Amino acid sequence: MSARRDWRGVLFVAPYLTVFVVMLVVPLAMGMWLSTTKSDLFGTERWVGLANFVRLFGDAIFLQTVGNTFTFVLLTGPFLTLAGLGLALVLNRPERWAAVLRTIFFASTVLSVTVVTLVWRLVFLPDGGLLGVTAEALGGTPIAFLNNEKLAMPAIAVTTIWWCIGLPMVLFLAALQQVPRDLYEAAALDNASRWTTLTRITLPAIRRTFFLVIIIEVILQFQLFGQAQLMTLGGPNNATRPIVLFIYEAGWRQWELGYAAAAAQVLFAMILVAAMLQYRLSSRRAA
Amino acid sequence: MRALWLLPLALLGSCASPAPDKTRLVIQRFFGACEAEYGRATDIAKAEGECGIVTTMINRFQAENPDVDVVENVVFWPGYDQLTAQLAANDAPDLVTMHGSVISDYQARGLLEPLDADLAAIGAPPASFTTAARTAVTVDGRAWGLPIDTWAPLWHINMNLFRKAGLVRGGKPVLPRSPEELYAQAQQFRERTGKPYLVQGAANEYAGFTRNFYTFVMQQNGTLFRNGRATFATPEGRNALQLFKTIYDRDFTTKNQDYSAAVAGFLKGDGGVFLVGTWMVGTFDAESRKTSGALANGGYTVMPYPKLFAREATFADGHVWVMPRSNHRRPGERAAAIRFLKFFAGHAKHWARTGHLPAFQAIIDSPEWRALPHRDNLAILATTAQPLPKQVRRQFPIETIVGTEAASAISGAKPIDRTLSDMERRVNEVLENL
Amino acid sequence: MTRSRLAVALVVLAAVLMLVPLLWVLALSLKANGELMVDTASVFNGRFTLENYRNLFGNGAVFRWIGNSLIVSLGMTVGVLILASLAGYGFARLEFRGRDALFVIVLLGLAVPEQAVIIARHQMFSWLGMHNTYQALILPGLSAPFGVFLMTQYFRAIPKDIDEAALLDGASRFTIFWKLLLPLTIPAQATLGIFTFLSAWNDYWWPLISATNKDMFTLTVGIASTQMNFAQTEGLGFLMAQAVFAGAPMLIVYLFFQKYIVQAVAGAAGR
Repeated sequence: MSARRDWRGVLFVAPYLTVFVVMLVVPLAMGMWLSTTKSDLFGTERWVGLANFVRLFGDAIFLQTVGNTFTFVLLTGPFLTLAGLGLALVLNRPERWAAVLRTIFFASTVLSVTVVTLVWRLVFLPDGGLLGVTAEALGGTPIAFLNNEKLAMPAIAVTTIWWCIGLPMVLFLAALQQVPRDLYEAAALDNASRWTTLTRITLPAIRRTFFLVIIIEVILQFQLFGQAQLMTLGGPNNATRPIVLFIYEAGWRQWELGYAAAAAQVLFAMILVAAMLQYRLSSRRAA
Repeated sequence: MRALWLLPLALLGSCASPAPDKTRLVIQRFFGACEAEYGRATDIAKAEGECGIVTTMINRFQAENPDVDVVENVVFWPGYDQLTAQLAANDAPDLVTMHGSVISDYQARGLLEPLDADLAAIGAPPASFTTAARTAVTVDGRAWGLPIDTWAPLWHINMNLFRKAGLVRGGKPVLPRSPEELYAQAQQFRERTGKPYLVQGAANEYAGFTRNFYTFVMQQNGTLFRNGRATFATPEGRNALQLFKTIYDRDFTTKNQDYSAAVAGFLKGDGGVFLVGTWMVGTFDAESRKTSGALANGGYTVMPYPKLFAREATFADGHVWVMPRSNHRRPGERAAAIRFLKFFAGHAKHWARTGHLPAFQAIIDSPEWRALPHRDNLAILATTAQPLPKQVRRQFPIETIVGTEAASAISGAKPIDRTLSDMERRVNEVLENL
Repeated sequence: MTRSRLAVALVVLAAVLMLVPLLWVLALSLKANGELMVDTASVFNGRFTLENYRNLFGNGAVFRWIGNSLIVSLGMTVGVLILASLAGYGFARLEFRGRDALFVIVLLGLAVPEQAVIIARHQMFSWLGMHNTYQALILPGLSAPFGVFLMTQYFRAIPKDIDEAALLDGASRFTIFWKLLLPLTIPAQATLGIFTFLSAWNDYWWPLISATNKDMFTLTVGIASTQMNFAQTEGLGFLMAQAVFAGAPMLIVYLFFQKYIVQAVAGAAGR
């Protein structure tokens, strides 16, 4: 295998890298500097070093948001990945009915978060909401999901899963399409069972995508914001307040931009660690 | 394909710019958009609702001032994220609607223009405002905007149910004069109607809790803030929370309803008294003119919060037109903005039909205003409606903290004393880091 | 490859559950606001109306918002597809100094939450006086590493013999990229296209603080601005009509692209 060392390869990645540096790296660095200051959106008052971070780790509310965010990622990440895979496996066929079903599962993703949360609030409402009415019809008592400290987060997780199932499904569909047909033909010739085909051929072939989806889902769900803000305002009693809501409130409502920036850096670090762990795991499996 | 990417750049070049001869006036407001109904309307007297009235006012101003190019920017309530971003980008509008409680934040950063001289020039000096409105716009002895209105939480009463509960005397609702009387009347109400006394939007909403807390501490002559710090852990604070906790514990209120469900609930007759603000007066009054429904046949009236403790007081806030500071506002544009303020002040009586309290004392005193449905009952608010002192900054995030904590105490999730100290601690953390 | 009936049945059941809230949104959009304010269950009484959609089109600004959203979303999609494909090929196939390190740095970019960069981006565009422009709305989205990650994975999965054969024939790297490999990544392009378009279409915070003049409002910001109160009490039906209206173009885009994602099994070209 001859691989040419060719500096001209840089030309292919240069356009993207330019935008990457200007729009991501530079603002990130600016944000890091901001986290060491006391500022608001109109100016910087003074440099405070690591004081914001010290304050963060003593802030009971912030620590609770970290826990909440972790819980949420654990509730949604694995389910979205596995369910997305399952749907893609079942619906990866050219028939019309499969196309209709695929569209149904994707349709929820096109809605904006405002509408999704509005509808699901109506679902969870104990007094006349969909679940409440169903419970009463079946002879039970409606549960106030969004007001219950223990059930509010799972309720938001269910809403999120309903909303986001489209992305993993489509990613897996595209990956399944790339599996070479001859592999399947060979397996059919060997009279391999469905299960063997699935576990020995399909799954290994989409292994890369599997880890991509998990990483993407973890990264996305760490950034939970809209659903918590609109469905529970972070309550009850901070039970559903995620980190991003904390950042938003500190920066835009309390005008403590430095503090918010520090929290954003902590979030970045958390996502980075989570993503790197997964990448490590995936390369080990791939090796 | 690459050409497609250049398309946005080309479009930028073709963006329309305003006619250079006309003076441009950018008015930014919330209150929603109602283009379909009021897009071209200019008859202010016929308009209904916050959106309708303000839209027709702006349309009429535009029609009467053809030399000004009025740009109306409607933003999602409350619009502060956008305004802050615009100020940071030095691209702020000429006039913007702002809550009185937020003025001190922007004023302290030098982001607003003082308007004393202008207000005097257009014949709307602070002396002509109501006490509440004047407090709302005054910081350090200067006026920082033209008040639009004052709004306060009210007791919206279902008279049909009150009558059934035997709580109507001489055509007027019987209201409690102390917490004990409230519990007794609520008990009676439940026995005779089978419904809870209060309707509250308690889910996914915290402002209501804050307003109740502030109001009843104020009624006890308690101090909420001293020397720029919160003082909630007081006997008055305790009583205020205990009042609502008792109401909750004894099922004298609806539970788990969010704002929309509570509105719908009150309209369906879920309870006797709905605790919500001035903005619903019009809606409920319209319902009471129908012949069917829970509020039918005049079964609605509205009163200020009853005096349950030492004095009559209600927490209030209000809307104000403010002028953000801008480096590149031309004198002509500024003059146009003042012209609009004069126009608005001249038509201020129409805004009263939204249910909010007028900002001008003259309008409160006018028979025309008093003749509007139920306004007679609310006139006293001109003196008893009380905003928080202007020294208290970050009132919006504080409202969220106070409300969330109060909600925990009232539902029993946290004991009252711990709630009060948590509330105080968290609010002081915000105030210490101004 | 056959699938078990049970799996299909489960999927159909799940689809029905998925569908219920969607149908509800549609039903709510066809109800009068006044009725819904009193009782949201009135959606079952069968009295439907098109007044919400009529009011929607009565607001001329809606078309401006859609135009803005289309320009921004299309611009960003085309931009991302171009940049990510080029970079993906570069990272997957070409050797140059620092390639692996650069790729890792790009991957690290995946972990950066929007909150960590949005304020700084706002400041940068403020300094340049570039707010309320299409560029300001499009450029930040072009930096998302997801596209590069995806395309690199796809290019890596293509067997190298294709490249080798073409190289032996004397083809340039660019020709290999443009004529041979790119067509093989069409499912990935379609996927990336859909999701870039979607994230641009539904983006709220960045357009909110950057496109603050009403002429530059995107659809999400514009729709939010019409709400009369923060609790959406008074205009529930109208809001749902707006939601259906805002979601429809996305659904059309999806329907158009999804046939590129799942190509016919029978008679497809083997890879």
